[in-house]
Amino acid sequence: MERTIIHLDVADFAAAVECLLDRRLAGRPLIIAPGGAARAVVYDMNETAFQCGVRKGMAVRRALRRCPDARLRPPRMERYEQAMQALLQPALACSPRVECGDADGHLFVDVTGTGRLLGPAMDVAWRLERRIRADLGFEPAWSVASSKLMAKVATRLVKPRGECIVGAGEEAAFLAPLPLRLLPGIENRDLAMLDALNLAFVRQAASLSREQLGALFGSRAALVHDVLRGIDPSPVRPAGSASPTVTAHWHFGNDSNDAVVVESALYALAEQAGWQLRRQRLAARRLRITIDYSDGRRRTGHATAPGATSDDRSLFEIACRALQRVWTRRVRIRHLGFYCERLVFPTAQLDLFAGRHYPNRKHYRLSAAVDRIRERFGRQAIDVGRVLALKDLPAAGQCAVPLLPGVPA
Amino acid sequence: MQCLPPASTSKPSCRLLVGTSGYSYAEWVSAGFYPPQTPSTRMLSFYARRFPIVELNYTWYQMPRADALERLCARSPADFYFTAKLTRRLTHEIDFDRWRTAAAEYRRGIAPLQQAGKLKAVLVQLPPFFDRRPQNRRYLALLLDALEGLPLAVEFRHASWAAERVFAELERRRTTLVCVDEPALPGLFPQLAVVTNPDLFYVRFHGRNAAGWRSGDMQKQFDYDYHDAELCRWAQGPIAEMAARARSGVIFFNNHVRAQAPKNARRLMKHLASGKIA
Repeated sequence: MERTIIHLDVADFAAAVECLLDRRLAGRPLIIAPGGAARAVVYDMNETAFQCGVRKGMAVRRALRRCPDARLRPPRMERYEQAMQALLQPALACSPRVECGDADGHLFVDVTGTGRLLGPAMDVAWRLERRIRADLGFEPAWSVASSKLMAKVATRLVKPRGECIVGAGEEAAFLAPLPLRLLPGIENRDLAMLDALNLAFVRQAASLSREQLGALFGSRAALVHDVLRGIDPSPVRPAGSASPTVTAHWHFGNDSNDAVVVESALYALAEQAGWQLRRQRLAARRLRITIDYSDGRRRTGHATAPGATSDDRSLFEIACRALQRVWTRRVRIRHLGFYCERLVFPTAQLDLFAGRHYPNRKHYRLSAAVDRIRERFGRQAIDVGRVLALKDLPAAGQCAVPLLPGVPA
Repeated sequence: MQCLPPASTSKPSCRLLVGTSGYSYAEWVSAGFYPPQTPSTRMLSFYARRFPIVELNYTWYQMPRADALERLCARSPADFYFTAKLTRRLTHEIDFDRWRTAAAEYRRGIAPLQQAGKLKAVLVQLPPFFDRRPQNRRYLALLLDALEGLPLAVEFRHASWAAERVFAELERRRTTLVCVDEPALPGLFPQLAVVTNPDLFYVRFHGRNAAGWRSGDMQKQFDYDYHDAELCRWAQGPIAEMAARARSGVIFFNNHVRAQAPKNARRLMKHLASGKIA
């Protein structure tokens, strides 16, 4: 069946969120980067800063030399995730198949087969954009196409705002005059290889046969062949398939690969996530840890809990297992993401035979006691020794406060 | 039901073209207008076997791109024609600092249709909130100047524009006033068979779904199935009157829901043929 996919893309999402939260930033150059760090790199910037030559991943000092008037704000992932949730809501009214990026302002909505109910897809997309603009203040670029790949290329063409409709059957003709760097799936090394052959545009690369592509890209030739023709059968993941998560983030002011510091940050994240879980009377069955290295690369690892848990120590032990799997490079780490997944309501019934679950219950009671102390006397009233290594570091952790209008906590 | 010949005599040279507002609707497959499994790429060729003209809607949502319209021209039969809606950036979402740039961009985008001789009109559909105040009158005059050279047709949605001075100015500019069939709701531009351009008259059938008109939901707003009697009255009345005063006319059905538009368009074509109007 012919598919119809809408892509919404809020350009420079982190900067857009910060501008919404602080209207004084509107129209001024803005750089999102960890503050007070000698080696910090730019996480995001707005269009004004971009025009001055600031780029993602650029050293903050260099960025500030290019754009000395820029305002500097630290990344606040929790706010960006809240904003993503707010973006998601109007889209969910159009289709259950809504896939959103990782707090990056991207949203794919599969409206295949909804024509009778909602009208033409371009009208749905336009209405979505209008509603998002009216309710949230974002001005997303939007596109309508027959696949995620085509929809993404289309929004790339019109960013930071605008619209693009690619008719079904028009894919190859639409892509032909475009530079290869606009195609998702064509990586830097692919571009270098094609550039060496003096191929810079899609129509040039698309003239290569499968055999020729095979000689260049090996096992990836089939993928590259499809990308060059706009073929992308990948589905839009249903919104329900992404289970709710509790998240916490740690940004290292000074990027670090010190094991003690990183583990301390991980424990602090376990405390923050655990507090959120306990507050909602939830427990996690699986943890996901993401590492963002200084050079912009990201690694993700999972670890499953033997039983659903929400106490800090158990969460930390599981997170350590996930971290060990992904921390394989000596490059400094810029950011740690801590995601509690497969959330369940823990059983209230005690184990009949106190055995392996007994220590967890003890830990849970300890964590709950710490929560009560902190609620009564403040966050700083009590700390575990493990996080003391972080005390002197310029860093920002997670807070879970509703900060966008209309977004629930 | 067959129409009786109209009382008035139409110009023998008036050529009427009947079509629908848009043709690429997935729901027209399930509604039976297109054969089962018809892909979007085959819809135009199928549509063109039944109608001689289509009104392009998507140019309202998206600025037309010359390359896409060139391909569309190439895919359409030689005697098939288009009208195209003006971009919303010049009608509904006007940026008063940049509208001239948008007008120039639109002209460039639509050029392949005009160069191929397939563009019958550019539809300037103005929103209900665009009333006849001095600022809007000034803007409309500037807009029509900026689009001079294109075959323009103006559709008002606000009743305040139903004035002799407006019609006289459109006549002076040889710009078509669009005649509309829509629910009889207060504040809407009335149905008037006024010909302001002897080259072309333009009729749009939006349906008469009064309950859904202001729902904000297209699927309700344009959900209406015209009765034979209603179409017959149109064929004998306003269409015959306008055909007598113009060299050509284009008629579109916008009630696209459940493929009522092509069904009603075919019925009207029969009435026009039986009444010897087309």
